[in-house]
Amino acid sequence: MSAAAAILALVRTWLWIGAGVAALFLTIGIGRIDANARNAFVFRTLLVPGILLIWPLVLWRWWCIERGSPWIARYRPPSAHGAAAVAMAILVLAALGLSLGARQDWPAGFEPRRLADAAP
Amino acid sequence: MSVKYVPVQWNRFKWGYDAVLLAGMAVFLWAFLRIDAAVLGHAREVSGPIRNARAFGACAFAMMTIILCIGPLARLDARFLPLLYNRRHFGVLTAAVALSHASLILNWYFAFSPAERYQTVLFANTSYAGGVAGFPFETFGIFALLALLILAATSHDFWLAFLTPPVWKGLHYLIYPAYAAVVAHVAWGALLDRGSGTFTWVVFAGALGVVVLHLIAALKDRRGVRPETSDWIDAGDPATIAEGRARIVILPSGDRVAIFRHQGQLSAISNACAHQNGPLGEGRIIDCLVTCPWHGFQYEPRTGRAPPPFTEMVPTFALRIVAGRVQVDPTTAPPGTPQAPVPIPGAVTA
Repeated sequence: MSAAAAILALVRTWLWIGAGVAALFLTIGIGRIDANARNAFVFRTLLVPGILLIWPLVLWRWWCIERGSPWIARYRPPSAHGAAAVAMAILVLAALGLSLGARQDWPAGFEPRRLADAAP
Repeated sequence: MSVKYVPVQWNRFKWGYDAVLLAGMAVFLWAFLRIDAAVLGHAREVSGPIRNARAFGACAFAMMTIILCIGPLARLDARFLPLLYNRRHFGVLTAAVALSHASLILNWYFAFSPAERYQTVLFANTSYAGGVAGFPFETFGIFALLALLILAATSHDFWLAFLTPPVWKGLHYLIYPAYAAVVAHVAWGALLDRGSGTFTWVVFAGALGVVVLHLIAALKDRRGVRPETSDWIDAGDPATIAEGRARIVILPSGDRVAIFRHQGQLSAISNACAHQNGPLGEGRIIDCLVTCPWHGFQYEPRTGRAPPPFTEMVPTFALRIVAGRVQVDPTTAPPGTPQAPVPIPGAVTA
């Protein structure tokens, strides 16, 4: 199996597990952990893509809520905006700077030809 | 606000916001597909499928650039707050446009291989150590697309309540590396062609604009100083707090408290809104209720509770006046705990 095929197999496995978690969470779990979700069914279909992508986080939060998580955690927003902005700025400037040094011209005197036309 | 979840909570403003979004997107795509190739900086004419893919790619880049400008602009000038209000719809639409771009690319450049197209995009170019020219820039695009899909898929209010706002916001920090990846995707792909003059200038201007705005907003946020004492925290002269407005104080724990003045009395609640941790202290009191500047969630200033039938609550803090200065008890009271309001000496109370 090639590396590309292995990566795709991994992705498919991830999504299949996510589908299982979605089925379990949206039928049993969601009503247990959120009173606002009881008797509200249409919106649950919108949650499926998210569960497919981040199902480990879903399982972790489900477990935390079932155990009873401390309320204070809800009111401490992450304060890393400054660090994130600086990191993004460095990466953006690096990407732009490196690209400037590698720009290329179209080969002089070369015109593209259709492969069918080039064949003898 | 909460009560029962619905797929989308529409209101007149959101309809208008989304209509402008869709119209802007349609005009962009139409212009990109109709305007002469030379004006766009395309040195050579390209086929229809390639031009379609470039149109959606350029549109996604422009939308991400605008989205990333909205946050710092709203921090720097409150007049931009209405743009923040429905930013999640903007993000979902951007993810859809980016997905369309990826689909068009897959169905053209990688569709004529005997291998599966998803495999082909992974193995067609693997020269990761070969320098910028020839680097598989598709990898940056795949990462950014995955990040955008995660952000879009977790945009419903349920995810905020379920993950908690801090975890949700932490997850949504993905937008920063995603934007850097998109810039790299464009810069190490389309911009390597010296013939793409106009497009190069547009990309540089957009990316540098995002960088500069974020750095200015980050510098502004660094002004707050965290005290190192566990005693009551001095919050200054109460008379200088404007009626219906708040002063934000940073506690030794790093938490922020919003001290509101309402009818000549002071009350303190957490600065983090229960909805999306928006900065309550940057909002104002409307109809006797603290109103979040981001999405309009409201709380009673003395109890930190949303008016019925809504159920959101934020923590509250005790206040006192000593020698003409207002002081905050750094001990956080559980959400919804009533606190006696403190009259401002000499102020007119209702």
